[in-house]
Amino acid sequence: MKKEIIEQIDGYWDIVREIDASRKYGSDFKDEKGKVKDYINRLHPSRIQMRVLDIIDETASTRTLRMVPADAPLPPFIAGQYITVFVETGGIRTARPYSISSAPNQRGYYEITIRRVPEGLVSGFFLDKVKPGDVIQTSGPQGFFYYNPVIHKKKAICIAGGSGITPFMSMIREVVECGLDREIRLIYGNRSVDDIIFHQELTWISEHFDNISYIPVLEIPPEDYSGKQGFITDDIIREVTGNTRDKTFFLCGPSAMYDFCLPELEKLEIPRKRLKKEMYGAPDNIWEYPGWPQGLSQDETFSVIVNNGKPFKARAGEPLIKALEKNGVLVPSLCRSGECSMCRVKITSGKVFQPPGVPVRVSDRLFGYVHSCVSFPVTDINIHI
Amino acid sequence: METYDAVVIGAGNGGLTASATLARKGLNVLLLERHNIPGGAATSFCRGRFEFEVALHQLSGIGTNEKPGPLRMLLDKIGVMDKLEFVPMNDLYRVVVPGQVDITLKPDKDEIVKELQMLFPREKEGIEKFFDLVWKVFSEVIGVFYFKDPEVSSKKYPHFFQYALKNLQEVFDQCLTDPVLKTIVSPYWTYMGLPPSSLAFVDMAAMLFAYTEFLPYHLKGGSQALSNALADTVLSNGGTIRFNCGVKKIIVENNKIKGVVTENGDEVKTRFVISNASKISTYIDLMEPEHVPQKISDELKQSTLGQSAFTLYLGLDCPPEKVGLNASTNFIIGGTEPDRIYERMQQREIGEEDGMLLTCYDLIDNNFSPKGCSQIALVTLKYGDCWLSVPPEEYAKEKFRIADSMLSAAEKIHPGIRAHIEEMEIATPFTHMRYLGHPKGSIYGFDSYLRNSAFFISNRSDIKGLYNTGGWYGSSGFQPTLESGVKTAKALIREFSAQQEGVR
Repeated sequence: MKKEIIEQIDGYWDIVREIDASRKYGSDFKDEKGKVKDYINRLHPSRIQMRVLDIIDETASTRTLRMVPADAPLPPFIAGQYITVFVETGGIRTARPYSISSAPNQRGYYEITIRRVPEGLVSGFFLDKVKPGDVIQTSGPQGFFYYNPVIHKKKAICIAGGSGITPFMSMIREVVECGLDREIRLIYGNRSVDDIIFHQELTWISEHFDNISYIPVLEIPPEDYSGKQGFITDDIIREVTGNTRDKTFFLCGPSAMYDFCLPELEKLEIPRKRLKKEMYGAPDNIWEYPGWPQGLSQDETFSVIVNNGKPFKARAGEPLIKALEKNGVLVPSLCRSGECSMCRVKITSGKVFQPPGVPVRVSDRLFGYVHSCVSFPVTDINIHI
Repeated sequence: METYDAVVIGAGNGGLTASATLARKGLNVLLLERHNIPGGAATSFCRGRFEFEVALHQLSGIGTNEKPGPLRMLLDKIGVMDKLEFVPMNDLYRVVVPGQVDITLKPDKDEIVKELQMLFPREKEGIEKFFDLVWKVFSEVIGVFYFKDPEVSSKKYPHFFQYALKNLQEVFDQCLTDPVLKTIVSPYWTYMGLPPSSLAFVDMAAMLFAYTEFLPYHLKGGSQALSNALADTVLSNGGTIRFNCGVKKIIVENNKIKGVVTENGDEVKTRFVISNASKISTYIDLMEPEHVPQKISDELKQSTLGQSAFTLYLGLDCPPEKVGLNASTNFIIGGTEPDRIYERMQQREIGEEDGMLLTCYDLIDNNFSPKGCSQIALVTLKYGDCWLSVPPEEYAKEKFRIADSMLSAAEKIHPGIRAHIEEMEIATPFTHMRYLGHPKGSIYGFDSYLRNSAFFISNRSDIKGLYNTGGWYGSSGFQPTLESGVKTAKALIREFSAQQEGVR
């Protein structure tokens, strides 16, 4: 519109005067340079450089890494959250999420507690190769597995299996160290007494703090053992819980534990709003899931082509993201359990199998996007990244 | 070095429609997006079994097949209409002022006037006059701007010349007296961010007109469906999209665009850049100060940062009716003095005296949430400063505390919400800052004072080859930003074609 015309609109000159005044006193925003980044880095840095300060042996197969930040202060986190550790080992660049096991009130360091996974590429790296002084790159704290005071009950039943104890360790330590008005009853399943991580600390805490109880459940108990044994059944949960209505349930453990415990919990009729499950990686037995193509072996291989590049082979029983990483295709990832959507890729032809309940956006499904950390090739596929 | 006809920075609404328009014209376009998904604010996220809509509340400009609105025509031209399913909303909105009024308006001018006249018989004429003005002024705006009448005069467009630069309060003063009545007709001021005392009357007229004439719409799959459809159009027309790839620098030489440098340090050569990043990122973060045109510095000086928002995304394990919800768009307003509500947007606290928007899409879309469930978005506008001053250690605690008091305020009107919450996510100005990259988490760009309107600020960058799109360079909101992308792409194509001609 021509200026001569605009000038004829009622009130034009008043606004011109307002503009003159505001330009005289207004900011040119030069001091905003870099500020968005600075603010975000205080809470949600995408990468943190960490120095390994200490390595603590927990059990024969488990170690805790205490890490201090190499440069900026550590961002705060909520007990139960995880960080993703980025590593390059055996010529493969990959990443793994680990719940922070130290308390959030400990602002000087984060601890992650790592158990050896049979033939585990990354756990082997951490247990055998990493030494104090090494610098490791991690993500900022992530994840939604935490106590939300707005909607959760003050009394929590925490059910852990094996290394699934780590987020609860952070929660329990915080409740105890900060004197929080909350109650935690921890049901902790392990194969044998030697496998229990943090056994001494948990025993000590439960003996000294009325609001923390610790109920170990052992599959193979020692001879003179008088505690709970077997799996974590509805009976055990019921006995520990008492009235279920005033409690929120938190679950964290390997998929075998979910497979067993969730049906048990169903018997207690716990509504979803009072049941929080932590994600725990891709299923390691995907070929046993309903809907898996009949007769397809987990060892079958299929051809994968990324962005019209050179084809490579991927195994049906292995998450797509691992095949991509082994072949030098970098896909950003955080949770590696299907939840965070960072590793979203577009399947342009062919099919992948995804376990039920993976939170993929409705329209992503429509346009062929999958979360590659929980997608398994069941035909030859083409991918667009 | 990679070379493209054009590089688009940011896959927000404007960046997407711009890229799609360029790609369809055969330009070799590269769209760079920091995040792993297209959309900017036009996105969704999953928690548990719910998928939450982030930003879209009521889509304007769609209209029906028989009477298509401008946005329907635009999306049709880009070729995405057949990939989308739109659901009209039956209600314009519901306004609740506790203890004073609870009314739901239908998107029909005559019905609204009739209903309000029944409720406020003493203001019968004023109500008529107000709505007549809204329609008259906006019809003239359409003539002047959309149809670009070459012969604009105050004789031909008397209302335009009288009202185009008035604020809403001035028009209220001429037409209405009861503060409750004014509150009922103007909750949309929160869609722009300024209260009636400084909101342009034309802006209010545009919203009332557009939502009533073309109905407010919901989109199946949420705004992410639109973002994905647009991204798909870019790809299928030969465009390139790089996710997880921000831009570090716009290369300018002799006041001409030469290329961009990505966050990975890769240099991309191009003569044309469309920035969908905020005006501040574009000119302050991505450019050396010596390249910033005086025009832009002047414009920045007359601009102030608009609000961000505090939002609760709630997944309920019950149908909406169970908590007394019957309208999809509910403005719960804690009083009839908008200036007071506006002032409170400078502080973190949220209580019954604030205004909030409660949206529930499940009432018009049965498949929006899992069976038997529903979701609620509860939003209130907040300027970012009050959140940026929270020490990092206190942030999570403060977030929960404010969420709790907001929920308590909402429960005064809809008791029982809290007991049904299965999933909850909280977004603060920090969250918006993190995902949008906007200073202080501003969601609407700059405050939309009349002095920052298109009458006084043109979208020109004054750098050859640099174009802009999005809420920071004009009106914010879905329809305006989607339109701005197409408009800016067309301008770019004109210059691109002229240069090609020159070469030949």
